[in-house]
Amino acid sequence: MKKWVSLVLTCVLAVGFLAACTGKDESVKGEDKGNTPAEGKTETANEVTKFSISLRTLNFGHVEKSPDINADKWVKKLEELTNADLDIRLVPHKEYEQKMAQMFATNEIPDVVQGQGGVTGKEMAGSVEAGVFMPLDDLLQQYGPNLLKKIPKDAWNRMTYQGKIYGIPEWLGNPSRRATWIRKDLLDKVGLPVPKTVDEYMDVLRAFKKLGVENPYMGRQDFKYADTFFGAYDVFPYLNQFEEVDGQVQPKFLDAEHMMQALTTYKTMYNEGLIHKEFATINPTTFKNTILAGKAGMWSMNANELIQWETQLKQTVPDAKLEIIPSPTGPDGKGGYYMYGDVARAYFINAKYKQPEKIIRFFDWMLSDEAEKFFTFGVEGETFTMNGDQMDYKQPTDSQAVDEERYRQAFLWLIQDTTYNKGSLSLTEEGKNLMSVFDNILANEGRDGIEFEPRLEALKKNPDITPLSDTPPSVLISHMVKMVYGQEPIENWPKVIEEWKSKGGNDVLKEANEKFQKKEGVFLPRR
Amino acid sequence: MATKPETAGRMPGGMHRGRKEGSRTFRQMWKYKALYLISIPGILYFLIFKYIPLGGSVIAFQDYNIFKGFTGSEWVGFAHFAAMFEHYDFLRILKNTVLIGIYDLVIAFPAPIVLAILLNELRLIVFKRILQTVVYMPHFLSWVVIAGMSVAILSPTTGVLNQFLGFFGIEPLYFLGDNSYIRSVLVGSGMWRDAGYGTILYLAALAGINPELYEAAQMDGANRWKQTLRITLPALIPTIMILFLLHMGKFLDFGFERVWVFLNALNTENGEILDTYIYRAGLLSQQYSYTTAVGIFKSLVGLVLVMVGNYLSKKSTGEGLY
Repeated sequence: MKKWVSLVLTCVLAVGFLAACTGKDESVKGEDKGNTPAEGKTETANEVTKFSISLRTLNFGHVEKSPDINADKWVKKLEELTNADLDIRLVPHKEYEQKMAQMFATNEIPDVVQGQGGVTGKEMAGSVEAGVFMPLDDLLQQYGPNLLKKIPKDAWNRMTYQGKIYGIPEWLGNPSRRATWIRKDLLDKVGLPVPKTVDEYMDVLRAFKKLGVENPYMGRQDFKYADTFFGAYDVFPYLNQFEEVDGQVQPKFLDAEHMMQALTTYKTMYNEGLIHKEFATINPTTFKNTILAGKAGMWSMNANELIQWETQLKQTVPDAKLEIIPSPTGPDGKGGYYMYGDVARAYFINAKYKQPEKIIRFFDWMLSDEAEKFFTFGVEGETFTMNGDQMDYKQPTDSQAVDEERYRQAFLWLIQDTTYNKGSLSLTEEGKNLMSVFDNILANEGRDGIEFEPRLEALKKNPDITPLSDTPPSVLISHMVKMVYGQEPIENWPKVIEEWKSKGGNDVLKEANEKFQKKEGVFLPRR
Repeated sequence: MATKPETAGRMPGGMHRGRKEGSRTFRQMWKYKALYLISIPGILYFLIFKYIPLGGSVIAFQDYNIFKGFTGSEWVGFAHFAAMFEHYDFLRILKNTVLIGIYDLVIAFPAPIVLAILLNELRLIVFKRILQTVVYMPHFLSWVVIAGMSVAILSPTTGVLNQFLGFFGIEPLYFLGDNSYIRSVLVGSGMWRDAGYGTILYLAALAGINPELYEAAQMDGANRWKQTLRITLPALIPTIMILFLLHMGKFLDFGFERVWVFLNALNTENGEILDTYIYRAGLLSQQYSYTTAVGIFKSLVGLVLVMVGNYLSKKSTGEGLY
């Protein structure tokens, strides 16, 4: 009896409490609704564009160390220039997909949500299909002339769901991003020419080893950013790496012959000490620190990082010289890394937002000359000075200022061609070199495959056999690493394929071929 | 209630009595109103943060879609449970979880008891206090930090442990890159972190033992070892039993973070447990219903273990949780 009474009492209390909370919430919303229609159109034109936006931190040092990004001086400047009031909500880089799903599940969806890739990606958690965001076609026609003009069609295609555009893409003009980096000073020291084939690469690595380089080739956990030789043999076990063999669509790693050759290459490197014996436990931080300490001879990284890394490396090894060279070529005479999607980041507008045209204008401004100048060079008197007509921009040198510059140019500039920052690269010799790397080396390499978007249902159902954009599925990865460590014979690869098939891979093949025949959500290789 | 048999016969009188009793209960409550008032925040806490969210478990029986919510999602019955038992990896992961649980119970659970008894034997108070503080310390480190330290200590090329083993002519071992060591690393790191902190309750119990017992034993000629066996341990049994039963409830709940930070491609086969699997499949691959089913299974096993343990404990020692 006693228990009952107290339970009822507490229930009443709890319900009352909840009711009080929700009631408050509703009244606030009600006020909002009351306000917006009341104001005339002319008034709203001058009014501040106020909206919240979620942004992934993308490992930017300046962003992750910032105590409050909304109080950051560049955000303030941006708000001044665009007459906007942003409420940036950072999403941690590492837990991005998970936090995004939480955001949708708890219904705390900001006015603008940053996604990446497409409309049906994992991070969107089915929100576009569920009608959380608004279609933008008409708004873009009316308020986004720059956006429509400058953003390529391929990128808009990725933003389209059932014939309607749902997001504004930040695009990638040259989707080949990752590159093979080498310590040119060490290469000159061993007196070898720039390697081309896998064998020549191995010779260079061996020479590095003899020279006393601790990590001739820098390895990393799960082969992430250490997959150079899988590219040479064209067997990336990644998401967008399907290929057509005898009229059938299948993932590239089903090509057992070449996969085993790639694995053998890694095993040789492991046996001869050309790759760190502990690469299976080397995390991104250790990876970068080892390289910047001058203890690595060759590795893979995004090409756009070249100048920053060289600056940082020279603080420890003053004679170091970094260069990007064409990636090793395999039996087909080609090589390179997996190619990124056409869309780097994408912005979706919450269907509940009242004045989407202002947000479109805000994004449209991102492609104006004023925006280009601001994001590239900052503010006059602070980061650059005018010498008559000549602009005098001081390129930062210490790593903190480099971080800040990168943040302004790459993070805060929400919409641009992210291939490289033309304005700032044109200023220096190194910059021009880097642009030529993109235009002459990277534009000619890279491995692309057939991609399915939205993702295949069979892959969604079986997380264990599903690759990510740049990591092999978990069913494969442990076999791959073990084979390199010599804990499992490489000849077993056909068995690994059978295992993948039996754990759900057969359904994947079936669905992929069906969709391929029907040409449903199929994106063909670009290169 | 004692009045029940009487009320069964006479309906009107019974009702009258019932009402009377109700008012008595109320008077009783009124008398202790302060106590009831104090208990409200606690009750509310359990209600809001424990019992209401428990209702969310219904998604295990649905095809939950975060945009449709509980009400709009389709009901699928026990389909997710069936899928779980049929999953090719389920047995392996369950085996890992159970094995790690057993190791934890056999090796890590007694560690604080031994440590507490050892600490209790120290005579120099200053030394004892310092030592206690030192052994508590690791408990306040986060798992990410511990994993970072472990990688450094266990490294085959630069690690202290392998250098030490090298003195005895043992080849360097890649502790974190080997299926056969991962469980030991997991249980060992947990022991290092929490054994010291776990002594608190035992030390409190030890402080409560009547010193006269020891004096009497000394008179009878018992040495320290005998004293420990005959006096200290029996005095600790109730505390050990309670903690043991609480531990049983968490048997399959080894913890997510402490395992996740140690896993890599070379050791997942033996290191992956239900918690990490739930994270991977549920949060990373967004299979909410499926992983809720796995979670419910885990809780049910925990509940059964507590009930069985409690029953056995009551039978054998008379001690129990409830």
